[in-house]
Amino acid sequence: MTDVERKKALQTDEDQKLLPLVLEIMPGHAAEGLIDIYEPGSYEGKSLRKLCDRTLSKKKWSIEEQLIVEDVIRQREGGRLLCRGQEIDGTALEYAEAEQTEAGEKYLYVPIRAIKPQEGGIGLIIFD
Amino acid sequence: MKQLLDSDLELVVESGFIHVPLLLDPAIDRELQTPLRTETVPERSGSRKSTAVIEVQGRHFIRTLSVQSLVTNFEKVSANSYQQLKNDCLREYFLTPELDSLSVDGKLRTILFQVMTYFIKKNRGLHRRRWSEEEMLDFIGEKINIPAEYYERAQTFLDTEPLRTTLSDLGKKEPTFESLHNGLISAQELRAWLRKTVFTKIVQCKRKSLRNALHVREQFKNTKKKHLAILLYIADKGSLEIDGFGFSRINSSDEYLVYKRTGEYILKDYHARSYLFPDCRVAVPTFGTLRPIVMETYKHPFLLGHEAGQEICLRQFTPPNKFTAGNIIGGVEKGINALIYGYDSRRRNGIHGLDRKLLHVKSIEFDDYRI
Repeated sequence: MTDVERKKALQTDEDQKLLPLVLEIMPGHAAEGLIDIYEPGSYEGKSLRKLCDRTLSKKKWSIEEQLIVEDVIRQREGGRLLCRGQEIDGTALEYAEAEQTEAGEKYLYVPIRAIKPQEGGIGLIIFD
Repeated sequence: MKQLLDSDLELVVESGFIHVPLLLDPAIDRELQTPLRTETVPERSGSRKSTAVIEVQGRHFIRTLSVQSLVTNFEKVSANSYQQLKNDCLREYFLTPELDSLSVDGKLRTILFQVMTYFIKKNRGLHRRRWSEEEMLDFIGEKINIPAEYYERAQTFLDTEPLRTTLSDLGKKEPTFESLHNGLISAQELRAWLRKTVFTKIVQCKRKSLRNALHVREQFKNTKKKHLAILLYIADKGSLEIDGFGFSRINSSDEYLVYKRTGEYILKDYHARSYLFPDCRVAVPTFGTLRPIVMETYKHPFLLGHEAGQEICLRQFTPPNKFTAGNIIGGVEKGINALIYGYDSRRRNGIHGLDRKLLHVKSIEFDDYRI
């Protein structure tokens, strides 16, 4: 689905009905992460950061998912939460893109990445 | 050594050392005629008499090489002769050198099934779960074209019977070591003995490698032919790249550079001007200290120069030495994070600044990246 198609789908569906929001939080540069689904009515108007916190503090995760939660928390300490390369600052809907499952069910998708920046250089003094 | 073995000299083997005839030099002869001095002076290591010079049948011989050392290091000191012996051995026992080079085990498996699974998006839709090795190989099979010959090779690989037969035959006619007796021996006899001993050693090594090969093959006996063909293809090629993640074998060893592409990214300078950096591969080697490097000819505030294979300068990072999937993933991520997220435009924390030049060090310019 191209960006234009995604936007179009989003606008149409927003006008017609509310969609569930799928949040995926990935540790570092992992290709896949933790999937959490927010039903319509539970995420509107809420900041994306708060939704991430809520997802990470849930107790329902399996052992495998709990390992991902720990990895995300580890990377987030002193790090950042990014969505499509930008630091998150706003509501979930601002970052959401409409997608659909193979069965044709539509949903809003927000991929979040927890990145711990690694400082580089050798500390040389730079002069003007 | 070659000259010694090719000579007509008569040698002496004593206490595991080869002794060669002492030159008939008047000065040495005089020294040897003064037994009081040579016999009473103890060796540094103990109180034994020196055995460097021995007398056999009225002739003097001086200690040179250790027999054991000669056998052990024959491959290094006489590479051509060793290769000739190895070829003779392969011919005599109908062995193929390719059996040794099959490496579908070891580090490659860790990279494929533990590192690659982390960086590659495998699942469609919203379902997330860990994939089995078979599912991962199916996924790779969909992404790359495996030539038909690898399916044939997989069939041969899975049939362990010929290998068992070879091993059994080898066991039946395996030569045995013969020890070298003390006393006088001609250089020709020594050469023949050395040749036979090294040959026996090669056969034993070959048998060991065949046993290992059989062990590896037995581990794959339940693997589908299709999956084995994929593994053999990757092991043969030594490199693979899928969706920006890849690895590349270093020379012909079982060592690799495991990398992930950064894609294009933008850094900002002190004045908030943007610089577009091209895609590059951040790699970590599977041996030595696992430091991230940039494979391409590349420039960045955290790289010293503008060339290929530079280490990324990282602060507060002690690279691990042990090859594990976690250490490889960590190294690659740290390298990428440093390049994309580590530069602080206010502090200009790199070796080079995007918009400032160093006074005493030749600095790298980034003006051509400005957008």
